[in-house]
Amino acid sequence: MMNHRRSLANRYNALKSTGPTSAAGKRASSQNSRKHGLNVAPDFESSPEYKALVDLIAEEGFSGFACADIASSLLNYRRVMDAYYDTYTSPEPVNEFMRDMNVRASNPIFRELLSPSGSEPQDLRDMAAFFASMQRQERCKGGPVSSRTADTHKLIRYQRNGIARLSRAVRQG
Amino acid sequence: MLYNIHFSIDVDVAMPVEDKSKSLLPFLSSPKLLPNESEAEFQSGLQSLLAELDNPSPLAVALVSQLNECLWWIKRHTVDKELILHEAMARLLSKAGNHWDTYDNRKVSEALERYLDGSADKDESTWIDDILAESKLTLSDLRIRAFKDAAKHIKMVDDLIHRQHQTMRHLQRSIDSIDYKSRLIKRMDLELAALESKQSAKGALTLDDEPS
Repeated sequence: MMNHRRSLANRYNALKSTGPTSAAGKRASSQNSRKHGLNVAPDFESSPEYKALVDLIAEEGFSGFACADIASSLLNYRRVMDAYYDTYTSPEPVNEFMRDMNVRASNPIFRELLSPSGSEPQDLRDMAAFFASMQRQERCKGGPVSSRTADTHKLIRYQRNGIARLSRAVRQG
Repeated sequence: MLYNIHFSIDVDVAMPVEDKSKSLLPFLSSPKLLPNESEAEFQSGLQSLLAELDNPSPLAVALVSQLNECLWWIKRHTVDKELILHEAMARLLSKAGNHWDTYDNRKVSEALERYLDGSADKDESTWIDDILAESKLTLSDLRIRAFKDAAKHIKMVDDLIHRQHQTMRHLQRSIDSIDYKSRLIKRMDLELAALESKQSAKGALTLDDEPS
């Protein structure tokens, strides 16, 4: 297990990083903002499930247009609920170390880390302020349950639109 | 941590109804369960809802399955609401102590969970009591402060629960619409059959009345 001092030093050194340099690294990091993919227009019509659903719904006396609408609405609703489950079960990771550390009590460690470079007292204060600010950001996110709740909350509008579309398709069919 | 709480769902076991009609469900992705959840309970809830359908058409069965999933999500989010409160309590408690060890949020969380469950050992109970005493708080004070602290996230959970209720309302209306439609079709079929039989009887009478 990494000790507290080593972990603080790593975090301080990581500040000097300027991001990925290789093409593969840049390609990977370009996907960082992609969360659930629900903004991408899906192509349900070419899926085998769609055809089967349309055939089964047609047996209930719906028109051809209504069958297509209901089938795609159902598939769309399931897509939203799958993303909802995925977001709920894999929220953004919580940095527990940063959230739980005692910044004030870590001052002696900061001093020790900075002493070889002949640092000024201001450097120590800057370092403590930096960790305190990161901790505030981390604590705003709350714990793991709060974090997954906040992430899932972002999908409410997709669920609202998905169910409204399905309900409209069934009732107007 | 705190989120290993199990919840139970009391659902009457109903007769299986999958065999009543063809199903759309194999063509739709099925709701997934968390590792600590019972599939038997989920299925039992689904079966009891399906058993209430007068006319289990494939579409109605698919919609009822979505409705059952909404109920399941409501239960999950209700548990989360309490867990968020526990998280905030642990956070406040870990900040309250002046010692280095109390800053281990995980340790405080686990001890607090057992303390609230009543399963904490003597050392843990003393430890939590000491931190509470040190910060001049009672458990109910801590809960109130935690509620205030976590108000933003508790509101989010309430929004999620409200959304599931709204979704259920939409699904219920859709199921009613399918049911009404099928009843209407049946009624029209019956009326048509009655008209046809009346017409044929009338035709027979007319034939009988014709002079030879």
